[in-house]
Formats: sequence, structure tokens, C-alpha cells
Amino acid sequence: MAAEPRDRPPPEVRCQGLAKTYGDAGGALMALSTTDLVFEAGRTTALVGPSGCGKSTLLRLIAGLESPTTGSVEIGGESPLAVRKRAGLAMAFQDASLLPWRTVRGNVALALQLGRMPSDGEAVDRLISLVGLDGFEDSRPSQLSGGMRQRAAIARCLVTEPGLLLLDEPFGAVDELTRLRLNQDLPRLWEKRGTTTILVTHSITEAVLLSDRVLVFSARPGRVVADIPVALPRPRSRDSLEHPRFRMITDQVSAALMEGWQADAAQ
Amino acid sequence: MTSPGLAVPRAAAPTRWPDFSRPLAIIGMVIGWELLARLLAGSYILSGPIDILAYLLGNAGLMTRALLVTLEAAAWGFLWGNLAACGLALVALLLPRLQPLISGLALIFFCLPLVATGPILRVLYGTGTGPQVTLAALAVYYTTYLCLLVGLRAAPASWFDLVRTYGRGRMTELLRIRIFATLPYFLAGLQIAAPAAFLGAMVGEFTGAERGMGVLAIRAMRGLDVDATWALASVAAAVSMLAYGALGWIGRRLGSVPPALLMAPPPASGRSPLGLRLALPLAMGLLTLGVVVLLWQGSMDGLGLNRFFAKRPGDVFAFLFTDAQAAANRATLLSAFGATISLALPGYLLGLMLGAAMACAIVIAPALSTTMLPIAIALRSVPIITTAPLITLALGRGAAGTITIVAVMIFFPTLVACLEGLRRTPGQVIDVFESYAASPLRRLTGAQIPAMLPAFFASARMAIPAAFLAATTAEWLATGGGIGSLMAMTASTSAYGMLWSAIVLLALTASLLYLLAGQLEHLVLSRFASEQLVK
Repeated sequence: MAAEPRDRPPPEVRCQGLAKTYGDAGGALMALSTTDLVFEAGRTTALVGPSGCGKSTLLRLIAGLESPTTGSVEIGGESPLAVRKRAGLAMAFQDASLLPWRTVRGNVALALQLGRMPSDGEAVDRLISLVGLDGFEDSRPSQLSGGMRQRAAIARCLVTEPGLLLLDEPFGAVDELTRLRLNQDLPRLWEKRGTTTILVTHSITEAVLLSDRVLVFSARPGRVVADIPVALPRPRSRDSLEHPRFRMITDQVSAALMEGWQADAAQ
Repeated sequence: MTSPGLAVPRAAAPTRWPDFSRPLAIIGMVIGWELLARLLAGSYILSGPIDILAYLLGNAGLMTRALLVTLEAAAWGFLWGNLAACGLALVALLLPRLQPLISGLALIFFCLPLVATGPILRVLYGTGTGPQVTLAALAVYYTTYLCLLVGLRAAPASWFDLVRTYGRGRMTELLRIRIFATLPYFLAGLQIAAPAAFLGAMVGEFTGAERGMGVLAIRAMRGLDVDATWALASVAAAVSMLAYGALGWIGRRLGSVPPALLMAPPPASGRSPLGLRLALPLAMGLLTLGVVVLLWQGSMDGLGLNRFFAKRPGDVFAFLFTDAQAAANRATLLSAFGATISLALPGYLLGLMLGAAMACAIVIAPALSTTMLPIAIALRSVPIITTAPLITLALGRGAAGTITIVAVMIFFPTLVACLEGLRRTPGQVIDVFESYAASPLRRLTGAQIPAMLPAFFASARMAIPAAFLAATTAEWLATGGGIGSLMAMTASTSAYGMLWSAIVLLALTASLLYLLAGQLEHLVLSRFASEQLVK
């Protein structure tokens, strides 16, 4: 049972014929139309698209938090449930979702407890330090700013050293300046380990800055309308924003978003 | 009055004086009380603080002994009632399909008229504190159960997603998330329960206990001892307030923020067709009644209780429908019931309206609110019912006395609920009204009253059993009319058929009205506070 996630290479994620419809025949709402996708091992993929386009649904389907109406998800050849059971994936949420009655240390340690892993105070403190929360180990979430809460949530995700990281608009609720700082500080932590990462975001800048590939979704029912590679040198930093290719790629993403929007409006 | 947006920050003042408004208000009220008592001297209505203090000092030993007896019974009832609530809530959580049934049973037991169950428990238990403890437990378990039910579901969905991303199930959810997330709701429930347990224990002592505050209260009332009655009411009030305050203090020490608690009932069903939406609760109601009848019959038979005083469902049915005197029995019961309803209903409505109106008035003059809210919260915990004899003494045995008692019983909880509801008006909505320099009245009707409605309807629902309790207790102790007096009479003449029939009628009526109010509340909530509905 006590498989060591750190010994495994990051997994490839395969979605085959994946679709999700909510409700019954009477008032069916198609959240995600049939999708075939492969997320390469060790790469970061950003999902962008208008609200309600099914990108969060896709993320939840990959995590196995929801079951698909049709199709299947495989993470390194395993089912999502099997991967979850050995703490092989971690997910970050828009609102940080820290438990208010636990300290930062307690919240980070929670992932180890939920993942049936031995408690490791040293690893917990090291991660808290890595995300830049030194001195706040014993603070409660209500005493932290929005950006600090997200840092703690990322520490919680990484403490189990998962092979797959699912980020559902993790920086969506913080201000632009904080977001830029988090974008610079935090991705390094998982890029170094080569974690397979799927990021849902509303920010085109964030999508291009963090990822190796941007998937653009159309409005509901969501489908992929553009698959844009991001060939920017790593490690990325604020300087990446000045890179001549950066502007080109963000323009490409914007154009694809607009196209998807117009195609939708024409219907 | 300046609008909040334009007000100069208070910190600009060179020195900050401590806020004296609350102690001053309390001192003012005590002085007013004393003056009123002096004014009414000789009319056997009101004792002033000085006389009460003198009585307490003169009878310190007696009062302490009685208080300890009642406190012990209340504490045991508090413990058992809350344990029962935890057990019920846990079963309802783990077996969600059983939840409507459990809630229905819990409601019916909560609606049992204490006035009638008291004498029956006395016969069952014989001497001792059994009836007091049981009544105290009955008085507390339902509100705690409702608080737990809301609290156990109060956590945001992403916390459970988090648990599931590590492949863990419902047991982990319960142990790592729900129990902790419930704690503030549980503490809020305990705060409401503490005064209720004391009240339940006192009512239990009214029915033939040997010692305790309830016994002294009956004795003082019979002897028209005004000082003693008010002294007892004051001690009961002080104990209730202390318990309420202590539990609040513990909650704050534990770092729990008092939750915005409406105790909304779960909806009948989600988006199902209308036919199903009506049929399901009806079927559930019938099933609940069936289970009640089975439990009733089963427990009486199982314990081998004497049929003379432990009537079975069949006995009550025969008494009301198939006996030779069934028609006469029905007529007696229904006329007494009608008399009670005709007083309880106006009192209920009056209490609700006055509570809501007072809350609105306080909000219009916000300076009052910081002073009034804590006082109202404190007064809410006063066992008003112990002053029932005095109110009837003042207002006579006619309609006015009973209506006033019911209204007073309901006024304070409604006032507090409405004030809290008004306070929860979203700040940004207020800002919109402020940005047009809307008058306080406009702001009240346009923004604050809609925000208050959910709290108002929740308290209208919770007030239904309270109204029946107040009306029957007043009739039983003081006025001598209606179904309360009928129950007292039949209890003392051992006419148990009538007593059990009265219990059944009252419990069913209160439960039905409660469910009706819940449906009404649900309509209002779906429009004004859809986030409060338990999904």
C-alpha cells in the first residue's frame, strides 16, 4: 500500500471519448462534448475558455471527482480512483479550501494524513518555507491574506509529491499583482520535479507564462477549438513576458478565444 | 445622523472613552424597574430589585438548596437531551434516506405538551427527579438536533473534493471535516439549550416534585407571595443568562465564530414534479405517524406498563371514536382545545409582529441597537413562563392574561432573530441605498426587511411549539380554562383517557402547524435567501 510516489515517473493522462452531461433527458445540460486528449507526461497544459465551457468539468473528470457520461480517463495506465488512493494526484481550488480550524502547518500536514502517509514534520516545514510562508506555520487561515492562503494550498498539494497536479484557477481570487508574484514563485516548485500539470485559468497571460501548451475551449458545450504550443524557454520569469514570442502566443490564444466565441454567437 | 459613507472615523477623536452605553442602559432598566414596583406597591403584581434582594438574602439557604436541586436535574437533562440530539443527527447524516423520518419523529416528540407529559412521567417514574430530567431533555434535544443538522452540512463542497482527491470516503469526511465544521453550530445549539433545560426542569418540578425551584414557584404562587415569585423568576433568569453567557464564552475561547443560523428545514424535494412534491411529504407524514403508533404501543407493552395510566393508541382511538361517551369526550376535548387556540393564536401573532416591529424600530435608530441586542439576547433566555401567574394576577384570568403570556414568550426570540437578520443585510446593498441618500425608512423597506424575512419565518416556525407551551402552562397554572386546565384536571382525577387524547391532539396540531410554517418559510427562503436552503 505504501507506494512511494516519488519513485514513479510523472504520468501521462489520456482522455478517450470523454463527455459529461448534467441532468436527465428532460433538462439535459451538456457540459463537455466528446473529447479525446492526451496530456504528455511531465508537461504543463493550460485550459482556457469562457465561463461554463467545461474546463473545470474536465479537470474534475480527470481527478475522478465526477464520473463521465461516456468515455474514460487513464492516468499513467491507472484509473483516477487508483491514483487518488495512493495520493498520486493533488488538486488546488480557487478558494484555497484551507480548513479554518487548522494552522498552516496542520493544513499542509492534512494532505499527508489524507494520503495515508507517515507524518513528516520536516517535509511540512520545508514546503511551508519553500512557498514563502516562513514564520506563519502556526497562523490560522483567517490571519492570512488571499495570496498567502494560496501559497499554503500549494504547499499542501506538493507535500505528498504527487505525479499529477490539477490546478483549478488557483490564483483566480487574488489581485493581479499578487497573482504575478505567485506565478513567478510557485511553478518552479513543481517544474523542477517535472510534475504533469493541468491548469485551468481565466488569465491568458498566466496560461502562456506557466504552460507548455494551451488548449482553448469554446463556450458550452465545451470542446477544444485550438491547441497552441508554448515554445518559450524555461525557467520562465518576469523576463519571459518581454520575450518577443510571448506576445505572439497570447495574441494567438486571444484570437482562438474570440473565434470560439463568434462561432458560438453565430449559432 | 451622518451616513456611514460620510462619517468621520471615530478614531479621529483624541481620546477614546470606554463604551458606557450598555452598563448605563442596564442600570437605567433596574432603576425603572424599582420605580415601577414602587408605583404598583400593594397591587400584588411586581416586586422591585430591593425587595427581591431582601427576600433572597432572607431565604438564602432555602433558595440555594432549591437551586442546586433544579440545576442538577437541568444539567442531566441538558446532557441526555444533547446526547440524543447528537445520536439522531449522526444517524440522519449516515443514513440520509431516514432523515425525514427521524426529523418527523423528533418534531412530534418535541411538540408533546410538557404540561401533560409531566404528570404521566410522574406516574411512570414515581418519586425522584426522573420527570424533571426527562422534560429538560425533551426541551433541549430538538433545537440542538436542528443546529447539528445544518452544521453537519455547512462545509463548502471543495473541502469534500479535497478529501476525495486522496481517495478517502465518508468516514474521513465525518472525522476530519464535518465534526469540526459543526462545532460552532453545536455550540450555538447548546447556548439555546441551556435556558431551555432549566425551564424544562422547572416545569417538571411543577408536577409533584418534592424539592426544587419549581416547587417553590408553585408554593409562592398559591400563597400570592409576590416577592418570592419574582425572586424565583430572577434567579431562574440569572442562571439562564449565566449559562448562555458561559457557553458563548467557551465558544469564543475555542475560536468558533457564531454561525448565521436559521435552522432552515430541508426542502420537501428538489425539482420533482408538483404531484410528487405533494405526495412525498404526505407519504412521509403517514409513515412517521405509523412509526409513532408502533413505538408508542411497543414501548408501553415492552415495559409492561399498566393500561390504566399508560394508554395505548387503540385506547385513545376508542376513547374518542368508539366508546359510548365518545361524542361527549370529543366535544369536551375540542371545546377546550378551541378555547386554547383562540388565545394562543392572537398571542402568537402579536408576539411575532411586536418582535419584528421592535427590531425594525431599533434599526431605524441604530444607536439603540448596540445596547438593545445584548439585552434582548439575555432576556430571551429568561424562563418567562415562571412569571405567568403574576401576569395573570395583573391582567386577570380572561383572555388578556393568556394572550400576553404567549406574546411575551415569543416576543424576545423573534426580536433577537429579526435583529440578527437585519444585521445581515449585505453591506454593499446598504451602500447602494446610501449612494442615493435614501432615507432610513426607504432603506428599511427596500433592503433590510427583505433580508430579515428568512430569520423572521424561521422564528415563526420555532415559536409554534413555544406558543402551545406558554398557553397551556398559563391555563394550567393560572387561568383555569382551555386544554391546559383540562389536562391538569384529568391528571389529578386520573382521567387518563382524556389526558392522552389531549396529548395526541396537541402534538399533532403543533407538528402540523410547524410543518405548514416550514413550507411557508421554504417559499420565502427560495426567493430571499436561496443559499440557506439545505441541498
